[in-house]
Amino acid sequence: MVDRKITLKSILWLVIGIWITVSLARFIRGLGSITDLSDSTPWGLWIAFDVMSGVALAAGGFVIAAVVYIFHLEKFRPFVRPAILTALLGYIAVAVGLLYDLGIPLNIWHATIYPQPHSVLFEVAMCVMLYLTVLFLEFCPVLLEHPWFNRLLFRKIHKALKRITIPLVIMGIVLSTLHQSSLGSLFLISPDRVHPLWYSPVLWVLFFVSAVGLGLMTIAAESLFSSWYFGHKLKVDLLSGLGRAASFVLFAYVLLRLADLAVRHKLDQALNGTWQANLFLFEIFLAALLPAILMSFRRIRSSPAGIGISSIMTILGVIGYRFDLCIVAFARPEGISYFPTWMEFAVTIGIVAAATMISVEQSTRLRSSFSPLSLRILMPESRSALRRYSLASIAGAAFAAAALPADVWQGSPMLSTPVTSPMIINGSLTDNSFSSKFTYNINLHPSGSPGGETDTEQFLIIDGNRDGRLVVFPHRFHRDKLGGETSCVLCHHQALPFDQNTSCSECHRDMYLPTDLFNHSVHIARLDENAGCPECHADPTKAKTRENTKSCKKCHQDTILRRSIIPLKEESLEHAEGYMHAMHGLCITCHEQKLTEEPDRYCRNFADCGTCHRGINGKYFRRMYPYAAHKNNLASKRNQAGAILSRPDYEN
Amino acid sequence: MTARKAILIDTTLCTGCDRCVEACKQENKLGKDLPRRWKHSIDDLSSTRFTTVIQREGNHFVRQLCRHCEQPACVSACIVGALKKTAEGPVIYDSAKCMGCRYCIMSCPFGIPRYDWENSIPYVRKCTMCYPRILDGQIPACVEACPEKATAFGPRDELLRKARHCIKENPERYIQSVIGENEVGGSSVIYISDIPLGFLSYNPKPGDQPLPSLTWSALSKVPPLIIGMGGFMTGIYWIVERRMKLSAESMQAPASKGKKDNRSW
Repeated sequence: MVDRKITLKSILWLVIGIWITVSLARFIRGLGSITDLSDSTPWGLWIAFDVMSGVALAAGGFVIAAVVYIFHLEKFRPFVRPAILTALLGYIAVAVGLLYDLGIPLNIWHATIYPQPHSVLFEVAMCVMLYLTVLFLEFCPVLLEHPWFNRLLFRKIHKALKRITIPLVIMGIVLSTLHQSSLGSLFLISPDRVHPLWYSPVLWVLFFVSAVGLGLMTIAAESLFSSWYFGHKLKVDLLSGLGRAASFVLFAYVLLRLADLAVRHKLDQALNGTWQANLFLFEIFLAALLPAILMSFRRIRSSPAGIGISSIMTILGVIGYRFDLCIVAFARPEGISYFPTWMEFAVTIGIVAAATMISVEQSTRLRSSFSPLSLRILMPESRSALRRYSLASIAGAAFAAAALPADVWQGSPMLSTPVTSPMIINGSLTDNSFSSKFTYNINLHPSGSPGGETDTEQFLIIDGNRDGRLVVFPHRFHRDKLGGETSCVLCHHQALPFDQNTSCSECHRDMYLPTDLFNHSVHIARLDENAGCPECHADPTKAKTRENTKSCKKCHQDTILRRSIIPLKEESLEHAEGYMHAMHGLCITCHEQKLTEEPDRYCRNFADCGTCHRGINGKYFRRMYPYAAHKNNLASKRNQAGAILSRPDYEN
Repeated sequence: MTARKAILIDTTLCTGCDRCVEACKQENKLGKDLPRRWKHSIDDLSSTRFTTVIQREGNHFVRQLCRHCEQPACVSACIVGALKKTAEGPVIYDSAKCMGCRYCIMSCPFGIPRYDWENSIPYVRKCTMCYPRILDGQIPACVEACPEKATAFGPRDELLRKARHCIKENPERYIQSVIGENEVGGSSVIYISDIPLGFLSYNPKPGDQPLPSLTWSALSKVPPLIIGMGGFMTGIYWIVERRMKLSAESMQAPASKGKKDNRSW
């Protein structure tokens, strides 16, 4: 038995080691760095399991208290203390889990000073807080039985607590009823997001009934576990009684859910074969119907295996109900999904492990003489056990630290993907990061088929940052990785109104940052103020257009790529990349300034985009070429150039 | 009382120049949009972008921002009252109260509030309709910046009247409904449009019922539930206790009789 205990505790310590490392990351770096939560999934595993399911799993406390104290079914009394202890630990675990999930955990007490009674969450918080207090008071007598507390004051307190047992129990039942049901009411506010099979105006009734059923079954599961763990005899008749009660409650739950669907005329949706419908059927079958049927047979509910399997089914099923409602059947925008990261799992499992450890230790003592919690609780049994536990926890912590994503260390959960420059290997071009998957053979490139489903779709050679450095860009790979057809907008979007796509460096943050390619004032200063205008603007008296402006290359010879991997036409380098940015910067600032200086002289729209860009039937407004006459010209040029060079606007 | 203010957006006039976004960023000191895991796209609403222009097929531009509902779900959801519907119309946020439960984000039917996921002390971020500016008697920055006058600001009643008039006058140009007049109880940001705007909310056709009333139907049952459950439990306890006492007495009575009998025997 000692060996069994030490092995179990070593595993728990390993888990706790992982948990501690992840906790540090969570509280230092914030939620974004270690979770998969997002604005479309603000509540994830920690709410669905640690809070929603945790509270339901701890329902055994109030159920058994009601059975024994209110209904006077004295034979169940042996379950009371373990159940109250489990409930207390369960609720503490819920509170701890909540601290991880809250964005600002230090403000958790704010509900007490800024009450907002219209919020369901407020009601839940108040009830959980009060119920924790009630549970603590219910548990106090166990503590006070310890010889250490054998003093007058404590004896008096003990006596007073015993006297108020029944009011405390009734209060506990009322508070539990309220918050067990209100956890369901939390979702009443999102009728548009919760799937109709789960959304119901009586969610609170369903939550309460399923929690009672689950509570009964968890007590059974717990006694099975402790009888295995401590190796003592099982009270089969008591378990069978629990099973019978659970069977009634679970049948009631199934009927309620089906009746609710029928009343809302949604029964057909449960059978229409969508994944939600199948999930619903599976969940209700697993959580309630099957265990309820099994438990209605005396033979099955009198066998430990029968009770064990049914209780595990109910536990998984009711947890599944919470998960489905909170995460799985909760609508998100298309293309956004949620799956908890391993770190979220680590926190959840760590909390459960810590609670299990205390509960196992404590029930050892509860069992021996109903005596008390002492500090020795977490002490190792022997020197070798101590060695094992520390080894396990340190190994866990180190493993977790090694596995933490780089974002946690760098403090930036920015999307970042390493890129490498293209290389020439034996006449074929390979992009390092994809070398195992893609080999780009420059000779095979069908340069004349832009836009077709050929290699041009797969690979482009682009100047993504508009700095003259060309890279092989696996277009199809990016498209597929970012989510298929709908992902176009990720790069070809509207954030840069008149540009056609995002710079590579927007996502690949480890590339260089884009710089100002053309700084007009620096050029003015360098070229001797106004006398320098003709250096670039061939005839300063004319409108300053592309036609009569010198290209950057004329002075900056080094902007020409010397070792270009593909033969570039000389004229394609005539104008600096970013010419558009430069022009926008110059024209618009000047126009705006003029407009504020002399508002009477210029029309209202003088500084508006539409002033230059308006025109061609309002089509393609955002990527319009300023001078309408060029449009056809440019388009044909672009077609000739093919897709090999994605520099659409300004190749000349 | 101050007249309730609102923003009217005419999507047919919007050219998608993003001036409103720029002005909003300046006014609220929001900084650059960076690519993050939790963003759909770079120009998605985020903690650094309270309003954005969505391009729909066929060159339609629709500005997205907080709707400042008349009976906001987020306000009713907030556990500490950090979100508040002001008399002037805007729904504002007090970061000092917030504990970060994110129930507001869960509850919004339009998916508006965003979270500072990257910060270790994160806050909820969303449009405030430039509340400080409104208090100063100015108009919101985005409205001021709009070069096409696609966005207007004023008393809600007046804007509604204007909007109704406008769609009635130009039936071929607009869909014949003022979006935001009645949806989820009405909102302080209203649209007139030539395309359906269902994509702005989770439910393409949001009902007219204000969402807080849904939770209230359950919350209002709390006091009767307390009394009922408390009374029920006390009653059961009392009845069972009494029965057990009686049966114990009746058990005891024959027992003592028996004793007597024994003695007499």
